[in-house]
Amino acid sequence: MILYPPWPAGVEPAVPIVSYPNTWTHTPSLAPIRRPLTLTEATGPLDLSRKLPCGEPNLAMPHPGRMAQGQLIHVAGRVLDEDARPVAGAIVELWQANAAGRYFHPIDQRDAPLDPNFIGNGRVRTDADGAYGFFTIRPGAYPVPVEDVWWRPPHVHFGVIGPASLTRLVTQMYFPGDPLNAYDRILQSVPDPAARDRLLAEALPPDQVGSGWLGYRFDIVLRGRRATPPA
Amino acid sequence: MTPTSQHTIGPFFPRTFFQPGDNDLTRLAADAAPSTRGEAILLRGRVLRAGGVPCVNAVLEAWQADASGHFRHPLDPGAAEADPDFCGWGRAWTDAEGGYEFRTLSPGGYGDRAPHINLHLMGAGLMRMLRTTVFFPGVGADPVLDLVPPERRSHLIARPEGAGLFRFDLLLRGDAADETPFFED
Repeated sequence: MILYPPWPAGVEPAVPIVSYPNTWTHTPSLAPIRRPLTLTEATGPLDLSRKLPCGEPNLAMPHPGRMAQGQLIHVAGRVLDEDARPVAGAIVELWQANAAGRYFHPIDQRDAPLDPNFIGNGRVRTDADGAYGFFTIRPGAYPVPVEDVWWRPPHVHFGVIGPASLTRLVTQMYFPGDPLNAYDRILQSVPDPAARDRLLAEALPPDQVGSGWLGYRFDIVLRGRRATPPA
Repeated sequence: MTPTSQHTIGPFFPRTFFQPGDNDLTRLAADAAPSTRGEAILLRGRVLRAGGVPCVNAVLEAWQADASGHFRHPLDPGAAEADPDFCGWGRAWTDAEGGYEFRTLSPGGYGDRAPHINLHLMGAGLMRMLRTTVFFPGVGADPVLDLVPPERRSHLIARPEGAGLFRFDLLLRGDAADETPFFED
């Protein structure tokens, strides 16, 4: 039996957000209705391997020998539940801007260069220890085109599918020490400072990461814990 | 441990993550044969935001039981009887008019649950994903639908538009009487 306690106070973003117009036009004005857990919410697709094929975890070298521009990084971590148990077989989707802060996406028409060697998205599956990893580049910051302009700090989008419909998570990872973090209206919408800190990757000591890539660790915790706490 | 905070999916969810057939719940993959154990239906609609403006580039994910009301999942005591060819999960994104569609089989009910499809909606400006449930005409008692104030329940019932065709529009924000009801789990 898995329990899904409500989100602890301060962990969920507070909306709407000043100078983020979409949060004012898209967020429902009525509060969501709490519903009981039934099989539909407690189950989810366990094997999407044919529907969502997982690919090459190296986003920085989409073609052999042709590297993306930017600081090469390795982002790895584990997907866990609230009991710190690994979530094996979860699908992890990652997408991000290139080193100039531009997305390979038709909607992003900003005047910043595209990188012919960087698409910036990938999909992998967690192993038996809940572990995942991507080779990529550190994304650039970019301005949010609103009247009172603000900047998104370098960040990486993550989506996790599994093990239940209810555990579906979309979040973002940030880089520790970036001065823009303190001004980011999206990161700062999370009220609890400890919850914000958990969205920052941990920079690994250089002697742990070798000469090819800078290393970052980012663990993701999905909802769900056992009805009986682990001994 | 505390769960990781949710964030918006943003406006740039990769188009390259979508493959043909992702919005087809009847197949395990685009090249797999569709399940025919049930009544094929097309569920389509529009996602609108404040002012009735189309919500473009939003992502919808659907999850439902098969036509006999089973899930291919160990939590379902009837999992052994679940349709092995039915995926039950699909993903779609909204076009310039806010439109989406899912191809699926009419879901079966189970226990005290009426036939339904659960939808997740993610989009720019949605810091938390929205969760709602699609019911079908003639729905009776259901422990989730019964939680919704009676005057709002019709927003959760798909409208028939012809043989095998149902419409389910979502209004994220508007007059309280018109907003689609959403749930938290």
